[in-house]
Amino acid sequence: MNCERCQELLSEYIDGELDKKLSAEMDSHLGLCLECAELHEDFSGILLLCDKKEITEESAPPNPQAMWCRISNIIEAEIKPEIEKEQEIKAQRRGFFGGKNWSLSFSQIAASIVGIAIISSLLTFVGLKNAATEDLTTRASSAPPSLFQRALSKIGLAETAQETRERKVREQQALIEYWNKRVEARKALWDKPLREAFDRNLREIDQVVFDYTQTLEKDPFDELSGEMLDSALNEKMDLLREFSDL
Amino acid sequence: MMFSRRLRQFAAIAAKTTILVLSVVFFFALSAEEVSAQKRFSKTYPAAKNIRLQLTNRSGTVIVEGWDRDEVRITALLEAPAANIVPQSLSGRIVIDVRKENQGRSDVGNVNFTIKVPFTSSVDIETVMGNLNVSNVNGGFVRAHITSEGDITLTNISAGSVSAENVIGDIFFDGDVQGTGSYRFASTRGNINLRIPLNSSFRLVATAPSTRSISLGSFSNQGLTFVGDGRRVVGKVGDGSASVIVSNQRGNISFIRR
Repeated sequence: MNCERCQELLSEYIDGELDKKLSAEMDSHLGLCLECAELHEDFSGILLLCDKKEITEESAPPNPQAMWCRISNIIEAEIKPEIEKEQEIKAQRRGFFGGKNWSLSFSQIAASIVGIAIISSLLTFVGLKNAATEDLTTRASSAPPSLFQRALSKIGLAETAQETRERKVREQQALIEYWNKRVEARKALWDKPLREAFDRNLREIDQVVFDYTQTLEKDPFDELSGEMLDSALNEKMDLLREFSDL
Repeated sequence: MMFSRRLRQFAAIAAKTTILVLSVVFFFALSAEEVSAQKRFSKTYPAAKNIRLQLTNRSGTVIVEGWDRDEVRITALLEAPAANIVPQSLSGRIVIDVRKENQGRSDVGNVNFTIKVPFTSSVDIETVMGNLNVSNVNGGFVRAHITSEGDITLTNISAGSVSAENVIGDIFFDGDVQGTGSYRFASTRGNINLRIPLNSSFRLVATAPSTRSISLGSFSNQGLTFVGDGRRVVGKVGDGSASVIVSNQRGNISFIRR
Protein backbone atom coordinates (compact mmCIF):
# COMPACT_ATOMS: atom_id res chain seq x y z
CA MET A 1 0.00 0.00 0.00
CA ASN A 2 1.21 3.48 -0.75
CA CYS A 3 0.74 6.74 1.18
CA GLU A 4 -1.94 8.08 -1.15
CA ARG A 5 -4.12 4.99 -0.75
CA CYS A 6 -3.50 4.97 2.99
CA GLN A 7 -4.62 8.62 3.40
CA GLU A 8 -7.67 7.90 1.26
CA LEU A 9 -8.75 5.08 3.55
CA LEU A 10 -7.67 6.72 6.80
CA SER A 11 -11.08 8.02 7.75
CA GLU A 12 -12.78 4.64 7.21
CA TYR A 13 -9.91 2.94 9.07
CA ILE A 14 -10.40 5.13 12.13
CA ASP A 15 -14.16 4.47 12.00
CA GLY A 16 -13.45 0.72 11.72
CA GLU A 17 -15.29 0.35 8.45
CA LEU A 18 -12.56 -1.43 6.49
CA ASP A 19 -12.47 -5.16 5.92
CA LYS A 20 -9.85 -7.24 7.66
CA LYS A 21 -7.50 -7.45 4.73
CA LEU A 22 -7.41 -3.70 4.09
CA SER A 23 -7.26 -2.99 7.78
CA ALA A 24 -4.21 -5.29 8.08
CA GLU A 25 -2.57 -3.53 5.15
CA MET A 26 -3.24 -0.16 6.79
CA ASP A 27 -1.70 -1.43 10.03
CA SER A 28 1.45 -2.55 8.31
CA HIS A 29 1.77 0.74 6.33
CA LEU A 30 1.21 2.90 9.41
CA GLY A 31 3.80 0.85 11.19
CA LEU A 32 6.35 1.64 8.51
CA CYS A 33 5.44 5.19 7.34
CA LEU A 34 6.07 7.96 9.86
CA GLU A 35 4.21 10.62 7.88
CA CYS A 36 1.03 8.60 7.58
CA ALA A 37 1.32 7.52 11.23
CA GLU A 38 1.48 11.17 12.39
CA LEU A 39 -1.49 12.03 10.22
CA HIS A 40 -3.35 9.12 11.74
CA GLU A 41 -2.56 10.29 15.23
CA ASP A 42 -3.67 13.89 14.55
CA PHE A 43 -6.84 12.79 12.91
CA SER A 44 -7.66 10.34 15.69
CA GLY A 45 -7.01 13.05 18.33
CA ILE A 46 -9.41 15.50 16.69
CA LEU A 47 -12.10 12.89 16.43
CA LEU A 48 -11.57 11.88 20.01
CA LEU A 49 -11.95 15.47 21.13
CA CYS A 50 -15.10 15.91 19.09
CA ASP A 51 -16.55 12.74 20.54
CA LYS A 52 -16.43 14.22 24.13
CA LYS A 53 -19.96 15.13 25.25
CA GLU A 54 -18.98 17.93 27.55
CA ILE A 55 -16.77 20.72 26.44
CA THR A 56 -15.21 22.27 29.44
CA GLU A 57 -14.43 25.97 29.72
CA GLU A 58 -10.70 25.28 29.50
CA SER A 59 -11.07 23.50 26.25
CA ALA A 60 -13.38 26.14 24.70
CA PRO A 61 -11.74 29.22 23.15
CA PRO A 62 -12.19 32.41 25.20
CA ASN A 63 -13.43 34.41 22.20
CA PRO A 64 -14.46 32.16 19.34
CA GLN A 65 -15.19 35.07 16.98
CA ALA A 66 -11.73 36.58 17.46
CA MET A 67 -10.16 33.18 16.92
CA TRP A 68 -11.98 32.67 13.55
CA CYS A 69 -10.92 36.16 12.57
CA ARG A 70 -7.27 35.27 13.25
CA ILE A 71 -7.59 32.00 11.33
CA SER A 72 -9.14 33.86 8.42
CA ASN A 73 -6.29 36.42 8.42
CA ILE A 74 -3.65 33.68 8.42
CA ILE A 75 -5.35 31.88 5.52
CA GLU A 76 -5.66 35.10 3.52
CA ALA A 77 -2.02 35.99 4.19
CA GLU A 78 -0.96 32.59 2.81
CA ILE A 79 -3.26 32.59 -0.20
CA LYS A 80 -2.80 36.26 -1.31
CA PRO A 81 0.72 35.96 -2.82
CA GLU A 82 -0.37 32.91 -4.77
CA ILE A 83 -3.37 34.77 -6.19
CA GLU A 84 -1.19 37.74 -7.12
CA LYS A 85 1.28 35.43 -8.84
CA GLU A 86 -1.50 33.81 -10.85
CA GLN A 87 -2.85 37.23 -11.85
CA GLU A 88 0.62 38.27 -12.98
CA ILE A 89 0.96 35.20 -15.22
CA LYS A 90 -2.49 35.82 -16.66
CA ALA A 91 -1.56 39.45 -17.40
CA GLN A 92 1.59 38.25 -19.23
CA ARG A 93 -0.43 35.81 -21.32
CA ARG A 94 -2.87 38.60 -22.16
CA GLY A 95 0.08 40.65 -23.34
CA PHE A 96 1.31 37.93 -25.68
CA PHE A 97 -1.92 36.49 -26.95
CA GLY A 98 -4.51 39.25 -26.66
CA GLY A 99 -6.05 38.20 -23.41
CA LYS A 100 -7.13 34.74 -24.46
CA ASN A 101 -6.29 31.61 -22.62
CA TRP A 102 -3.95 29.77 -24.98
CA SER A 103 -3.54 26.51 -23.16
CA LEU A 104 -3.88 24.01 -26.01
CA SER A 105 -4.30 20.30 -25.99
CA PHE A 106 -1.90 18.00 -27.83
CA SER A 107 -4.39 17.40 -30.64
CA GLN A 108 -4.92 21.16 -31.07
CA ILE A 109 -1.15 21.75 -31.26
CA ALA A 110 -0.75 18.89 -33.76
CA ALA A 111 -3.62 20.24 -35.88
CA SER A 112 -2.04 23.72 -35.85
CA ILE A 113 1.34 22.33 -36.98
CA VAL A 114 -0.28 20.35 -39.80
CA GLY A 115 -2.26 23.44 -40.86
CA ILE A 116 0.87 25.65 -40.95
CA ALA A 117 2.75 22.98 -42.93
CA ILE A 118 -0.05 22.73 -45.52
CA ILE A 119 -0.28 26.53 -45.92
CA SER A 120 3.53 26.87 -46.27
CA SER A 121 3.62 24.07 -48.87
CA LEU A 122 0.83 25.70 -50.87
CA LEU A 123 2.54 29.09 -50.78
CA THR A 124 5.87 27.55 -51.83
CA PHE A 125 4.23 25.60 -54.63
CA VAL A 126 2.39 28.67 -55.95
CA GLY A 127 5.57 30.76 -55.66
CA LEU A 128 7.69 28.21 -57.53
CA LYS A 129 5.05 27.77 -60.19
CA ASN A 130 4.87 31.52 -60.74
CA ALA A 131 8.66 31.79 -60.86
CA ALA A 132 8.93 28.99 -63.43
CA THR A 133 6.16 30.46 -65.58
CA GLU A 134 7.70 33.89 -65.33
CA ASP A 135 11.09 32.58 -66.40
CA LEU A 136 9.97 31.12 -69.67
CA THR A 137 6.91 32.99 -70.79
CA THR A 138 5.80 35.96 -68.71
CA ARG A 139 9.18 37.59 -68.78
CA ALA A 140 9.00 37.76 -72.54
CA SER A 141 5.62 39.43 -72.56
CA SER A 142 4.31 42.61 -71.03
CA ALA A 143 3.01 41.92 -67.52
CA PRO A 144 1.90 44.87 -65.37
CA PRO A 145 2.42 44.41 -61.62
CA SER A 146 -0.41 42.90 -59.62
CA LEU A 147 -2.55 44.93 -57.26
CA PHE A 148 -0.72 43.37 -54.32
CA GLN A 149 2.68 44.32 -55.76
CA ARG A 150 1.52 47.87 -56.40
CA ALA A 151 0.15 48.14 -52.86
CA LEU A 152 3.46 46.91 -51.40
CA SER A 153 5.33 49.32 -53.62
CA LYS A 154 3.19 52.27 -52.51
CA ILE A 155 3.85 51.67 -48.86
CA GLY A 156 7.55 51.24 -49.63
CA LEU A 157 7.78 47.55 -48.74
CA ALA A 158 8.67 46.31 -52.21
CA GLU A 159 9.84 47.54 -55.61
CA THR A 160 7.92 46.88 -58.79
CA ALA A 161 9.89 45.40 -61.69
CA GLN A 162 9.91 48.83 -63.31
CA GLU A 163 11.32 50.51 -60.19
CA THR A 164 13.99 47.81 -59.85
CA ARG A 165 14.96 48.28 -63.49
CA GLU A 166 15.12 52.06 -63.18
CA ARG A 167 17.31 51.79 -60.10
CA LYS A 168 19.61 49.32 -61.84
CA VAL A 169 19.86 51.52 -64.94
CA ARG A 170 20.84 54.50 -62.74
CA GLU A 171 23.57 52.39 -61.11
CA GLN A 172 24.83 51.19 -64.49
CA GLN A 173 24.85 54.73 -65.90
CA ALA A 174 26.96 55.90 -62.96
CA LEU A 175 29.51 53.15 -63.66
CA ILE A 176 29.45 53.91 -67.38
CA GLU A 177 30.24 57.56 -66.65
CA TYR A 178 33.20 56.51 -64.54
CA TRP A 179 34.67 54.21 -67.23
CA ASN A 180 33.90 56.75 -69.94
CA LYS A 181 36.07 59.33 -68.19
CA ARG A 182 38.93 56.84 -68.06
CA VAL A 183 38.50 56.01 -71.74
CA GLU A 184 38.53 59.70 -72.70
CA ALA A 185 41.81 60.10 -70.86
CA ARG A 186 43.37 57.19 -72.79
CA LYS A 187 41.80 57.76 -76.19
CA ALA A 188 44.43 60.24 -77.43
CA LEU A 189 47.09 57.54 -77.13
CA TRP A 190 45.32 55.03 -79.38
CA ASP A 191 46.13 54.55 -83.03
CA LYS A 192 43.54 55.34 -85.66
CA PRO A 193 42.21 51.78 -86.29
CA LEU A 194 41.67 51.22 -82.57
CA ARG A 195 39.91 54.57 -82.13
CA GLU A 196 37.67 53.86 -85.10
CA ALA A 197 36.84 50.37 -83.89
CA PHE A 198 35.94 51.69 -80.45
CA ASP A 199 33.68 54.41 -81.86
CA ARG A 200 31.96 51.96 -84.22
CA ASN A 201 31.21 49.47 -81.44
CA LEU A 202 30.11 52.11 -78.97
CA ARG A 203 27.72 53.59 -81.56
CA GLU A 204 26.23 50.15 -82.12
CA ILE A 205 25.60 49.57 -78.42
CA ASP A 206 24.29 53.10 -77.93
CA GLN A 207 21.79 52.54 -80.72
CA VAL A 208 20.55 49.40 -78.94
CA VAL A 209 20.28 51.29 -75.63
CA PHE A 210 18.36 54.07 -77.37
CA ASP A 211 15.94 51.61 -79.03
CA TYR A 212 15.10 49.81 -75.79
CA THR A 213 14.80 53.03 -73.82
CA GLN A 214 12.22 54.22 -76.35
CA THR A 215 10.35 50.90 -76.28
CA LEU A 216 10.25 51.02 -72.49
CA GLU A 217 8.92 54.57 -72.52
CA LYS A 218 6.00 53.32 -74.58
CA ASP A 219 5.54 50.11 -72.60
CA PRO A 220 7.22 50.25 -69.18
CA PHE A 221 6.12 46.69 -68.40
CA ASP A 222 7.89 45.09 -71.37
CA GLU A 223 10.24 42.91 -69.38
CA LEU A 224 12.03 41.49 -72.39
CA SER A 225 13.08 44.98 -73.49
CA GLY A 226 14.09 45.69 -69.90
CA GLU A 227 16.25 42.58 -69.88
CA MET A 228 17.84 43.49 -73.22
CA LEU A 229 18.50 47.05 -72.05
CA ASP A 230 20.23 45.66 -68.99
CA SER A 231 22.33 43.38 -71.18
CA ALA A 232 23.25 46.24 -73.58
CA LEU A 233 24.30 48.49 -70.69
CA ASN A 234 26.47 45.70 -69.32
CA GLU A 235 28.07 45.30 -72.74
CA LYS A 236 28.74 49.01 -72.91
CA MET A 237 30.33 48.87 -69.48
CA ASP A 238 32.54 45.92 -70.56
CA LEU A 239 33.59 47.74 -73.74
CA LEU A 240 34.54 50.90 -71.83
CA ARG A 241 36.34 48.97 -69.10
CA GLU A 242 38.39 46.92 -71.56
CA PHE A 243 39.32 49.92 -73.72
CA SER A 244 40.19 52.06 -70.70
CA ASP A 245 43.04 49.62 -70.11
CA LEU A 246 44.59 50.02 -73.57
CA MET B 1 73.19 69.77 -135.32
CA MET B 2 72.53 66.09 -135.98
CA PHE B 3 74.95 65.14 -133.25
CA SER B 4 73.28 67.49 -130.79
CA ARG B 5 69.79 65.98 -131.42
CA ARG B 6 71.13 62.45 -130.92
CA LEU B 7 72.78 63.53 -127.75
CA ARG B 8 69.51 64.97 -126.41
CA GLN B 9 67.65 61.72 -127.31
CA PHE B 10 70.28 59.69 -125.55
CA ALA B 11 70.09 61.92 -122.51
CA ALA B 12 66.28 61.55 -122.39
CA ILE B 13 66.46 57.74 -122.65
CA ALA B 14 69.14 57.67 -119.98
CA ALA B 15 67.00 59.79 -117.68
CA LYS B 16 63.93 57.56 -118.19
CA THR B 17 65.96 54.45 -117.58
CA THR B 18 67.42 55.94 -114.42
CA ILE B 19 63.94 56.83 -113.14
CA LEU B 20 62.68 53.32 -113.94
CA VAL B 21 65.62 51.65 -112.22
CA LEU B 22 65.28 53.91 -109.19
CA SER B 23 61.53 53.13 -109.00
CA VAL B 24 62.18 49.40 -109.08
CA VAL B 25 64.89 49.71 -106.45
CA PHE B 26 62.62 51.87 -104.26
CA PHE B 27 59.71 49.40 -104.62
CA PHE B 28 61.83 46.42 -103.61
CA ALA B 29 63.39 48.36 -100.77
CA LEU B 30 59.91 49.20 -99.41
CA SER B 31 58.73 45.60 -99.68
CA ALA B 32 61.82 44.40 -97.94
CA GLU B 33 61.13 46.86 -95.14
CA GLU B 34 57.53 45.54 -94.79
CA VAL B 35 58.75 41.97 -94.64
CA SER B 36 61.32 42.79 -92.02
CA ALA B 37 58.61 44.68 -89.96
CA GLN B 38 56.66 41.45 -89.39
CA LYS B 39 58.36 39.34 -86.76
CA ARG B 40 57.74 35.69 -86.25
CA PHE B 41 57.51 33.83 -82.95
CA SER B 42 57.36 30.07 -82.60
CA LYS B 43 57.64 27.77 -79.63
CA THR B 44 56.49 24.26 -78.71
CA TYR B 45 55.64 23.04 -75.22
CA PRO B 46 55.02 19.47 -74.04
CA ALA B 47 51.49 19.28 -72.69
CA ALA B 48 49.03 16.95 -70.99
CA LYS B 49 46.03 15.81 -73.02
CA ASN B 50 43.65 17.99 -70.98
CA ILE B 51 45.80 21.13 -71.01
CA ARG B 52 44.09 24.48 -70.75
CA LEU B 53 45.11 27.21 -73.21
CA GLN B 54 44.51 30.68 -71.85
CA LEU B 55 45.16 33.46 -74.37
CA THR B 56 44.47 37.16 -73.91
CA ASN B 57 45.24 39.07 -77.09
CA ARG B 58 44.89 42.72 -77.96
CA SER B 59 44.25 42.68 -81.70
CA GLY B 60 44.84 40.26 -84.53
CA THR B 61 43.55 36.92 -85.70
CA VAL B 62 43.69 33.86 -83.47
CA ILE B 63 43.49 30.34 -84.88
CA VAL B 64 43.44 27.39 -82.48
CA GLU B 65 43.39 23.86 -83.86
CA GLY B 66 43.28 20.54 -82.11
CA TRP B 67 45.84 17.91 -83.10
CA ASP B 68 46.82 14.40 -82.02
CA ARG B 69 50.07 15.30 -80.28
CA ASP B 70 50.67 15.87 -76.59
CA GLU B 71 52.19 19.27 -77.17
CA VAL B 72 51.20 22.86 -77.77
CA ARG B 73 52.81 24.72 -80.66
CA ILE B 74 52.49 28.47 -80.64
CA THR B 75 53.23 30.41 -83.81
CA ALA B 76 52.70 34.15 -83.93
CA LEU B 77 53.22 36.78 -86.58
CA LEU B 78 53.82 40.10 -84.91
CA GLU B 79 53.07 43.22 -86.87
CA ALA B 80 55.06 46.37 -86.18
CA PRO B 81 55.41 47.78 -83.65
CA ALA B 82 55.88 44.25 -82.38
CA ALA B 83 54.30 43.21 -79.12
CA ASN B 84 56.13 41.31 -76.40
CA ILE B 85 55.06 37.71 -76.04
CA VAL B 86 56.12 35.55 -73.14
CA PRO B 87 54.05 32.34 -73.02
CA GLN B 88 54.06 30.61 -69.66
CA SER B 89 53.70 26.92 -69.08
CA LEU B 90 52.12 26.53 -65.67
CA SER B 91 50.71 23.41 -64.07
CA GLY B 92 48.14 22.18 -66.58
CA ARG B 93 47.96 25.55 -68.33
CA ILE B 94 49.62 27.47 -71.12
CA VAL B 95 49.09 31.17 -70.52
CA ILE B 96 49.74 33.94 -73.06
CA ASP B 97 48.73 37.41 -71.94
CA VAL B 98 49.62 39.92 -74.65
CA ARG B 99 47.70 42.72 -72.96
CA LYS B 100 49.41 42.33 -69.62
CA GLU B 101 52.86 42.02 -71.14
CA ASN B 102 52.37 45.19 -73.18
CA GLN B 103 50.51 47.19 -70.52
CA GLY B 104 51.06 50.93 -70.90
CA ARG B 105 52.13 50.66 -74.54
CA SER B 106 49.85 52.41 -76.98
CA ASP B 107 51.84 51.36 -80.07
CA VAL B 108 51.30 47.63 -80.28
CA GLY B 109 50.75 46.01 -83.67
CA ASN B 110 48.46 43.08 -84.39
CA VAL B 111 49.53 39.67 -83.17
CA ASN B 112 48.25 36.85 -85.38
CA PHE B 113 48.36 33.53 -83.58
CA THR B 114 48.18 30.00 -84.87
CA ILE B 115 48.17 27.57 -81.98
CA LYS B 116 48.01 23.80 -82.09
CA VAL B 117 46.70 22.05 -78.98
CA PRO B 118 45.89 18.42 -78.05
CA PHE B 119 42.34 17.43 -79.11
CA THR B 120 41.07 17.20 -75.55
CA SER B 121 42.30 20.62 -74.45
CA SER B 122 40.17 23.41 -72.98
CA VAL B 123 40.47 26.75 -74.73
CA ASP B 124 39.89 30.20 -73.28
CA ILE B 125 40.55 33.08 -75.70
CA GLU B 126 39.87 36.73 -75.09
CA THR B 127 40.75 39.61 -77.41
CA VAL B 128 39.83 43.25 -77.92
CA MET B 129 39.43 42.97 -81.70
CA GLY B 130 40.11 40.40 -84.40
CA ASN B 131 38.72 37.11 -85.61
CA LEU B 132 38.80 33.97 -83.49
CA ASN B 133 38.77 30.46 -84.97
CA VAL B 134 38.77 27.30 -82.90
CA SER B 135 38.49 23.86 -84.49
CA ASN B 136 38.75 20.17 -83.59
CA VAL B 137 38.63 20.66 -79.84
CA ASN B 138 36.89 18.10 -77.62
CA GLY B 139 37.92 19.26 -74.14
CA GLY B 140 36.08 20.54 -71.09
CA PHE B 141 35.25 24.00 -72.35
CA VAL B 142 35.71 26.52 -75.15
CA ARG B 143 35.37 30.22 -74.46
CA ALA B 144 35.81 32.85 -77.17
CA HIS B 145 35.26 36.45 -76.15
CA ILE B 146 35.80 39.52 -78.33
CA THR B 147 35.36 42.84 -76.55
CA SER B 148 34.52 44.73 -79.74
CA GLU B 149 34.51 43.40 -83.32
CA GLY B 150 35.50 40.21 -85.02
CA ASP B 151 33.97 36.96 -86.21
CA ILE B 152 33.97 33.84 -84.04
CA THR B 153 34.11 30.49 -85.80
CA LEU B 154 33.96 27.34 -83.72
CA THR B 155 34.16 24.19 -85.86
CA ASN B 156 33.98 20.55 -84.84
CA ILE B 157 33.69 21.32 -81.14
CA SER B 158 32.61 18.83 -78.51
CA ALA B 159 32.77 20.46 -75.09
CA GLY B 160 30.59 20.57 -72.00
CA SER B 161 30.68 24.33 -71.87
CA VAL B 162 30.89 26.70 -74.84
CA SER B 163 30.68 30.46 -74.73
CA ALA B 164 31.09 32.92 -77.62
CA GLU B 165 30.56 36.68 -77.34
CA ASN B 166 31.26 39.71 -79.49
CA VAL B 167 29.74 43.12 -80.27
CA ILE B 168 29.99 43.36 -84.06
CA GLY B 169 30.61 40.18 -86.03
CA ASP B 170 29.20 36.76 -86.88
CA ILE B 171 29.26 33.74 -84.63
CA PHE B 172 29.29 30.25 -86.08
CA PHE B 173 29.19 27.13 -83.95
CA ASP B 174 29.46 23.65 -85.39
CA GLY B 175 29.55 20.93 -82.78
CA ASP B 176 27.85 18.69 -80.25
CA VAL B 177 25.48 19.62 -77.47
CA GLN B 178 26.47 17.43 -74.54
CA GLY B 179 23.97 16.37 -71.86
CA THR B 180 23.95 18.83 -68.90
CA GLY B 181 26.24 21.10 -70.95
CA SER B 182 26.00 24.87 -71.07
CA TYR B 183 26.15 26.81 -74.35
CA ARG B 184 25.96 30.59 -74.58
CA PHE B 185 26.22 32.76 -77.68
CA ALA B 186 25.75 36.52 -77.63
CA SER B 187 26.26 39.27 -80.17
CA THR B 188 25.03 42.82 -80.65
CA ARG B 189 25.20 42.94 -84.42
CA GLY B 190 25.96 39.95 -86.58
CA ASN B 191 24.50 36.61 -87.49
CA ILE B 192 24.57 33.69 -85.11
CA ASN B 193 24.48 30.30 -86.82
CA LEU B 194 24.42 27.13 -84.77
CA ARG B 195 24.97 23.79 -86.45
CA ILE B 196 24.10 21.01 -84.02
CA PRO B 197 22.91 17.39 -84.25
CA LEU B 198 19.16 16.88 -84.55
CA ASN B 199 19.11 14.44 -81.63
CA SER B 200 20.51 17.03 -79.21
CA SER B 201 18.68 17.57 -75.90
CA PHE B 202 18.55 21.09 -74.51
CA ARG B 203 16.50 23.88 -73.02
CA LEU B 204 16.54 26.85 -75.34
CA VAL B 205 16.16 30.57 -74.77
CA ALA B 206 16.94 32.36 -78.06
CA THR B 207 16.32 36.10 -78.26
CA ALA B 208 16.51 38.36 -81.33
CA PRO B 209 14.41 41.34 -80.25
CA SER B 210 15.22 43.73 -83.05
CA THR B 211 15.00 41.53 -86.15
CA ARG B 212 12.69 38.85 -84.66
CA SER B 213 14.49 36.57 -87.05
CA ILE B 214 14.97 33.23 -85.33
CA SER B 215 15.14 30.36 -87.78
CA LEU B 216 14.72 27.00 -86.07
CA GLY B 217 15.23 24.90 -89.20
CA SER B 218 14.82 21.19 -88.45
CA PHE B 219 14.19 21.99 -84.77
CA SER B 220 10.99 23.94 -85.51
CA ASN B 221 8.66 21.03 -84.70
CA GLN B 222 10.34 20.04 -81.45
CA GLY B 223 8.28 21.80 -78.80
CA LEU B 224 9.80 25.26 -79.13
CA THR B 225 7.53 28.27 -78.74
CA PHE B 226 7.79 31.87 -79.90
CA VAL B 227 6.97 34.36 -77.14
CA GLY B 228 7.08 38.14 -76.67
CA ASP B 229 5.69 38.93 -80.13
CA GLY B 230 8.17 36.61 -81.80
CA ARG B 231 11.20 38.18 -80.20
CA ARG B 232 12.14 35.08 -78.24
CA VAL B 233 11.96 31.31 -78.61
CA VAL B 234 11.77 29.12 -75.53
CA GLY B 235 11.25 25.44 -74.89
CA LYS B 236 12.74 22.02 -74.49
CA VAL B 237 14.20 19.82 -77.18
CA GLY B 238 14.49 16.16 -76.14
CA ASP B 239 14.83 15.76 -72.40
CA GLY B 240 16.19 19.32 -72.11
CA SER B 241 19.24 18.34 -70.12
CA ALA B 242 21.65 20.92 -71.60
CA SER B 243 21.16 24.67 -71.64
CA VAL B 244 21.44 26.76 -74.83
CA ILE B 245 21.11 30.54 -74.46
CA VAL B 246 21.41 32.67 -77.58
CA SER B 247 21.03 36.43 -77.71
CA ASN B 248 21.44 38.69 -80.71
CA GLN B 249 20.45 42.32 -80.16
CA ARG B 250 20.37 43.41 -83.82
CA GLY B 251 20.94 40.29 -85.87
CA ASN B 252 19.59 36.90 -86.85
CA ILE B 253 19.75 33.52 -85.17
CA SER B 254 19.69 30.31 -87.22
CA PHE B 255 19.74 26.66 -86.25
CA ILE B 256 21.12 24.23 -88.79
CA ARG B 257 20.97 20.46 -88.60
CA ARG B 258 24.40 18.91 -88.29
